[in-house]
Amino acid sequence: MQDLESEIRALIAEIIERSPAEITPDANFFTDLGVDSMMALEILTAVEKKYKIQIPEEKLAQFTTLKQTVIVAGEYLAAKPQNA
Amino acid sequence: MLDTDVIQKILPQRYPFLMIDRIVELETAKKVVAIKNVTVNEGFFSGHFPDQPVMPGVLIIEAMAQAAIMLFYDPAKPLAENKTFFLGSVKTRFLEPVFPGDQIKITVLAQKFISSGSIVEAVAQVGEKEVCRAELGFMIKHGPRFPSDKGNGEG
Repeated sequence: MQDLESEIRALIAEIIERSPAEITPDANFFTDLGVDSMMALEILTAVEKKYKIQIPEEKLAQFTTLKQTVIVAGEYLAAKPQNA
Repeated sequence: MLDTDVIQKILPQRYPFLMIDRIVELETAKKVVAIKNVTVNEGFFSGHFPDQPVMPGVLIIEAMAQAAIMLFYDPAKPLAENKTFFLGSVKTRFLEPVFPGDQIKITVLAQKFISSGSIVEAVAQVGEKEVCRAELGFMIKHGPRFPSDKGNGEG
């Protein structure tokens, strides 16, 4: 989970052009980090691509903090069929 | 295949900013293959550049973005009505110049497609040669194009 968090932090840092240190687990993407809905969709897409998972549109609303993003990504990674 | 008559029912852009001449392949929400014919009569060539006409790269991006709008094509509901598309992000690499007489084939593949936007990968080719590749992100606003009230600052 720690690895997942640091990988996702790095992904987000690149997309939103902030230093990874600013992206604390509970920093709010929208109010603390200046993320807009376009960037949120980019984050979701980057997570899908990196981990080869599909996250449904409804989950986008849960992408509000690093912690939440890691939880959602973890759920779909756990459900991913092995060797798929 | 969709020709300019149908394209203009879907895309809101018009002369001199309609950058797609034909759609040769369309799989809604997944894939679009579009053609842009580049002629020496294009207005931008008179200034870019007077002695050396080269298509501005930003206009290749515009053509890709217009092709990407076609991902939202629903034959039952023409898109030009009540939807505004905002290009939100572009990551691009220009590989080769495009000259008058070239025919650009643009292939757009949706990486992520949701009801309010999409992230796509686009490749532009002249013949077999790649001239530009890009990742574009855009969002859709449902409703009138530019309402007087200030929304949430997007766009």
